Amino acid sequence: MECDERLRELIDRSFAEEVSVGERRIIDEHIRNCDGCRRYVELTARTIRGLREFTFASEADSRAQVFAMLAHDTGTTRRHNAQVKIWAAFAVALAMSIVGSALVYEAARFVAAPMHFDNAQLEAGVLVFWLLPSFCSALCIFAARGEKRGIA
Amino acid sequence: MLALPMTLNRTAETEEARIARGLRERDTELLADLVERCQHRLVRYLVYLTGRREHAEDLAQEAWIRVMQRGSQYNGRQRFEPWLFAIARNLAIDSIRKRLKAAPTVSLPDDRDAVLLLPSSGPSPFEAAARSEDAVRMAGRLQILPPLYREALLLRFQEELSLAEIAQVVGAPVTTVTSRIYRGLAALRSAFEEGNSHGV
Repeated sequence: MECDERLRELIDRSFAEEVSVGERRIIDEHIRNCDGCRRYVELTARTIRGLREFTFASEADSRAQVFAMLAHDTGTTRRHNAQVKIWAAFAVALAMSIVGSALVYEAARFVAAPMHFDNAQLEAGVLVFWLLPSFCSALCIFAARGEKRGIA
Repeated sequence: MLALPMTLNRTAETEEARIARGLRERDTELLADLVERCQHRLVRYLVYLTGRREHAEDLAQEAWIRVMQRGSQYNGRQRFEPWLFAIARNLAIDSIRKRLKAAPTVSLPDDRDAVLLLPSSGPSPFEAAARSEDAVRMAGRLQILPPLYREALLLRFQEELSLAEIAQVVGAPVTTVTSRIYRGLAALRSAFEEGNSHGV
């Protein structure tokens, strides 16, 4: 192959990416007899070696800073997730308390009819024995701390 | 004969899958391990990309936060490093754009990558880092080399990413990446050619 642009391109390619065995042989055979191209190969290799010498050491506490920041961020995210779960649990508990109370009221009315309870007695019973306890249970989700909630 | 390459390949896949799973689960140990392994490389990449030393550490920290926040987007089918560098690259460009926006006299170019071409002030990080005679000779060239060439050279010859991986990081076709590498090499090579012609 002539010592032209194409050969120089092939040499560049041999540094930047894989070349075939045949192409490698062409380069090797050519530079054996061509000072210009041999020098070109040496310069390119030297350039790449020089490039590899540049390192930029991180500041001494750089890793420690990253670890601290990630730990802080992880903690914040976990707390945020726990808050979201608590609110979701509270909303579900409240909804179950209200829906459950309505169902219990209907069932109690059906059961209490033969016993001649009036509405006020019935409502008081549902309030004291169902609505208040279930509402208090929902509030307990807020009152409990950390892992005792079982959801944090 | 094929057993070894296949085993190595499987190990690589497992490693990437492990990282993907760890990032999804926000595994702090895995993150610490990745930081330990990649922090200095990330800082080096950011210095090469921006030509500035002063913001590299801050940008690297932001990149790690982004990795943690968007860890679930890493699919484990590619190597972790190109994904990390792509995140850092976007952050670096956004950061430069933000700073330029704050300076009323500078108009922002439309092309995102073009902000990298604006001249940087301050001491050259390359001159400060040069340890050998060759490195000193090359430092001046590196500082004035277009950042996109510098970036391509670093990713190919220091990080040893494949051309396809570099294309993925910089968001450009492989042919563009190849051309940047050749032009970058030519510019740096001339530093030695001139040195030799002056008898250095």
